[in-house]
Amino acid sequence: MTNPVLKLDAITKQFGSGHTAVTALTDANFEVNAGEFVAIIGPSGSGKSTFLTIAAGLQTPTSGQVYLNGQPLTHQSERQRLAYRFNDVGFILQASNLIPFLTVREQFKLVDKLAKRPFQKEKTEKLLAELALSDVQNAYPNQLSGGERQRVAIARALYNDPSVILADEPTASLDTPRSIDVVKRLADEAHHHNKAIVMVTHDQRLISHCDVVYRIEDGHLARTETTKA
Amino acid sequence: MYLGLKEMWHEKLRYGLLSGVLLLIALVVFMLSGLANGLSVGNRQAVDQWRAKTVYLNKNANQSLAASQLKISDQTTVSGTHAPLANLSGTLRTTTNKLKTSASAFGTSRDSFIMPKVIKGHRINGKDQLLISAGLLDKGYHLGQKVRIGTTTHSVKIVGTYQTSTYSIAPTVYTDTSTLNRLKGSPITSGKDQPINAIVAKNSQFKSSDHDNLERLSITTFVSSLPGYSAEQLTLNTMIYFLFVMALAVIGIFMFVLTLQKSALFGVLKVQGIGTRHIIGALLSQSIAMALIGIGLGLAITIGLAQIMPAGLPFVIDWNAFGIYSVALLAAAVIGALLSWRTVANIDPAVAIG
Ligand SMILES: Nc1ncnc2c1ncn2[C@@H]1O[C@H](COP(=O)(O)OP(=O)(O)OP(=O)(O)O)[C@@H](O)[C@H]1O
Ligand SMILES: [Mg+2]
Repeated sequence: MTNPVLKLDAITKQFGSGHTAVTALTDANFEVNAGEFVAIIGPSGSGKSTFLTIAAGLQTPTSGQVYLNGQPLTHQSERQRLAYRFNDVGFILQASNLIPFLTVREQFKLVDKLAKRPFQKEKTEKLLAELALSDVQNAYPNQLSGGERQRVAIARALYNDPSVILADEPTASLDTPRSIDVVKRLADEAHHHNKAIVMVTHDQRLISHCDVVYRIEDGHLARTETTKA
Repeated sequence: MYLGLKEMWHEKLRYGLLSGVLLLIALVVFMLSGLANGLSVGNRQAVDQWRAKTVYLNKNANQSLAASQLKISDQTTVSGTHAPLANLSGTLRTTTNKLKTSASAFGTSRDSFIMPKVIKGHRINGKDQLLISAGLLDKGYHLGQKVRIGTTTHSVKIVGTYQTSTYSIAPTVYTDTSTLNRLKGSPITSGKDQPINAIVAKNSQFKSSDHDNLERLSITTFVSSLPGYSAEQLTLNTMIYFLFVMALAVIGIFMFVLTLQKSALFGVLKVQGIGTRHIIGALLSQSIAMALIGIGLGLAITIGLAQIMPAGLPFVIDWNAFGIYSVALLAAAVIGALLSWRTVANIDPAVAIG
């Protein structure tokens, strides 16, 4: 048995206290391995975003522990968590997470500037080619279609070779064919590049491409049998 | 830096406009500085050229040269190198009244250390001779000309010129004490009872505590009590200081509003591990770039305007002051950007996931 890349151990998250307290997550256990594409599906308000923010180290859980590659995350400093998100996690957010005043190519250049290394031109071009984005590399985000933007976001998420990718409703703004395309590409990344991918969604149609499905309802997270044949 | 400058490039109009505002502020700062310096030079150039350390005036004169009345003999009460100084402000005019110019006339002993060095013509070696500032040559005055000063009918002859010199915003002329007293129409024009206005000295002290009617002023005090001098400088400098506050406010507000506008984007950046320090770095590089553009163009335009300014405008570039004011404007830009620090730090990345 390999170690899980990301593991949430008995996570509870409570907002507020006393009378008005809301428990967004109750004793959630979760793990994802390299090469695995996991979906978390649940209705609105069930705690999906809360789960992602805790996995990303953006919020601290009320109790429980998050492990990345076996290392506990919860008690790290703000700066260590920033570095964790920069280096080890790729994000694909619901709305576009691209920088509006940078061209597609410059989005990647920025990452290299921040990491204080020379621009990885070949890597960028290879990544863009894989995601069928070569023709738009000098376009600004507002000149791209919704599908192209999400594919750039995927490429951006992959750029630092993160061990885990967290996707928050990556298909929310897309029509069905484009959604299927994006999800297929994510599955492809997991299976061929050995990434651990966690996708939060409320779209049932997408889960057929995932290896493992968790359902979340009212803060209770439960692993279900895979729907895949 | 990359982030900040790329954004500026993409949003040229927005950042161009603020650079324009900073340019205007810098331009006004430099113009005021040039005027303040021009007025300062116009008032004190002659005093600076004396290279004196001390001035003795009548202690009832309220530190005013024109109001001070001393006698040649008062010089015996002070030590060190010193020179008598008689002063007359009036209209310099040719005997035909063809040329008329305000001038500050000084009378001192012919060989005193404040008598300017002649660059054309000869030193004063006889009665009723006058040296004029080189600046007066441009106005049509020349060697050998007979001129009068003030309302007198007594005329003197221009025998030499020296480097340009002004006092009380008027070009200076020098003569000997007796001649000046004749121009003034003083009853006594020779001997130790001749009236003078001041004693100008290098390192000098009173010889004894008994110096009845004299007051000793440092040259700095003397300059700051020149008529209007302190008020002018204070007014112009206060305007300059206000402009720094304005620059700070303009940049601070602009960067703050932009930060609020971009808080969603900054949240996303933070999710991706690009923290407050990088974001503030981007804001800083933008405000510094805008300040540099504004200051650079402001300097260039000021220098350009200085070339085509009417000669009557007392405008003199002081590179030291320009350097200090440039740095101060830059500092205002840096502080202005840093004012958004808390706002950036408080952006919660968790809101980008929802
Ligand atoms: N910062 C907060 N303060 C108080 N309550 C919160 C906070 N964040 C989330 N909650 C509550 O926690 C619960 C779970 O919210 P969460 O955002 O995780 O839901 P979600 O599954 O992402 O919903 P959606 O599909 O609508 O995005 C909700 O009841 C919400 O009101
Ligand atoms: Mg949500």
